[in-house]
Amino acid sequence: MKVRESLLVFADHLQRVQLWLAALALIVLMMVTVADVFLRYLFNSPVRGSYDMVESLLVVFVFNGMAAGFFTRRNIVIDLIDSAIGRSATAVLIRIADFLSVVCLGVLAWAMLGPAVQAYDYGDRKLELNLPIYILWVVALLGMAGTLFCALVALSARPATAGIRPSE
Amino acid sequence: MSPSLIGLTGVFVLFALLILRVPIWIALVLVGFFGNATVLGWQGAFALAGTAPFDVASAYTLSVVPLFILMGEVASESRLSGELFNAARIILSGFRGGLAVATLAASALFGAVSGSSLANAATMTRMALPELRKAGYDDGLATGCIAAGGSTDILIPPSIILVIYAAIAELSVPKLLAAGLIPGLVLTGLYMLVAMAVVYVRPDYAPDAPGFPLRQRIVALKEPWQFLALFIVTIGGIYAGIFSPTEAASIGAFGAILLGVLGRRLSTADLLRAIENTVVVSGLLFVIVIGANLFSFFIVQTHLPELLLDGARSLNLSGLQVMMMIIFGYILLGCFLEGIGMVLITVPVFQPLVTKFGYDPIWFAIVVVVMVEVGLIHPPVGMNLFVIQAQAPDVKITSIYRGIIPFLIAPLILIVLMFLFPALALWLPKILYG
Repeated sequence: MKVRESLLVFADHLQRVQLWLAALALIVLMMVTVADVFLRYLFNSPVRGSYDMVESLLVVFVFNGMAAGFFTRRNIVIDLIDSAIGRSATAVLIRIADFLSVVCLGVLAWAMLGPAVQAYDYGDRKLELNLPIYILWVVALLGMAGTLFCALVALSARPATAGIRPSE
Repeated sequence: MSPSLIGLTGVFVLFALLILRVPIWIALVLVGFFGNATVLGWQGAFALAGTAPFDVASAYTLSVVPLFILMGEVASESRLSGELFNAARIILSGFRGGLAVATLAASALFGAVSGSSLANAATMTRMALPELRKAGYDDGLATGCIAAGGSTDILIPPSIILVIYAAIAELSVPKLLAAGLIPGLVLTGLYMLVAMAVVYVRPDYAPDAPGFPLRQRIVALKEPWQFLALFIVTIGGIYAGIFSPTEAASIGAFGAILLGVLGRRLSTADLLRAIENTVVVSGLLFVIVIGANLFSFFIVQTHLPELLLDGARSLNLSGLQVMMMIIFGYILLGCFLEGIGMVLITVPVFQPLVTKFGYDPIWFAIVVVVMVEVGLIHPPVGMNLFVIQAQAPDVKITSIYRGIIPFLIAPLILIVLMFLFPALALWLPKILYG
């Protein structure tokens, strides 16, 4: 029981950290672009590498922004069947979805290892920022690992109840 | 088994998984991954699965999605939307049904800074429903206006669904955002006509109310200036070619925050809530787009659209008949699929088919989004209806169903108009981008 609670508390902290990391990336992305536009139109001096910065910050945003949705089971589902099959059968389907979430995230993370290693071996860099692309792959893999952990905790330690519907 | 049949089987498996409550992104990843493994082999499937998430997450075009979501969330959290509804209520007063028309006008204006129909419906339920009920409006008519008005949000730019559509169908984001504007405004006008027709037939649904003095109406005209300013700067900036969509979305989100903070309409807690919602909703959308990327590649490999094309030709079906079948299919799909899923699952299959029949892909995109709108409001599972009921639990779902039915005619009329006058969707992109 204690292990389960500790896992839940840790995963909750982790998804909060990832959420605010993603939020920070989004705010910086927005500010860089705004600054780029203003400096370009007012002083004819755009922010160098702003395009690369947007792409790089988007990687941080996406791979860290997923964890909260997985931890709280907010992925979009078609729940028409719920009323027809009753609560216990719905709980079973939720558990199956949790399991499939973990499997799919695991497969994607595993498949991402190959291109990440290639990016390191080839030494590709962002054109304007000169940032090694493998660093972004590391960020992506760390974000995926956190999301996978949150999905695992949702599978093993959270009661099988439906999440909150996200807005579209 | 031929690749096309593998593709067809994949589509059936996908729907089976969705009905079994498997989240949309997982269904897309599973079918996409195993489908690609069947067609290309395991090595090819792994290579695609390894690169798709990173490609999607580093796509400059898609950076528009969280920024436009943030702009809408900030507008929703701040009291800007309340002022907007109040202005519409004063300006459009003095005739029976004026408050219903005001709700639709406020929804359309709110749509000019928000790209999410559910956020629009939720915001307008909070702002407009208490006023409509206080004025003695019938619950069905009141909620019908809110649900229908909210659905125009995905057509009037900025529209999240159009940006994602552009990414998956490899179309230009600015062109799609331009194509949605006129149909969105026409649809708002049609909804207003429906509301007036309902009031004409059932005057007891909307009690007569005195109008505000002309002076007060003129003063109220300046209230929505923030919305108009944000719309002109962001969408006008894209149309005029001054900003890229990402730049416009950044300035729009920043501007919405600035207006909220300077006008003391947005507290720190409101802003943090808006950012948190943006991260969660965007994260969920991006995993679906990653899945759709794999699924779309699988469909392309199977040549399924060619199989459908051959089938249509062997049955001597005309392009119009094929389009009618597709539209009917969307009405059925809207009974159980939500908007983004509907677009991401069907577009890779249908777009190549309809373009072979000579239809413009931009025009088709707008037709699809109008059908998604229908799906958002038609019973039994229109998401906008559930959002309204969640916000106002004392309104019976049967009243909401009854209230929305007359409004369903409006998007269908718009579809007919788009067949008769394709320029409704194609004129503005042509004028702006050639």
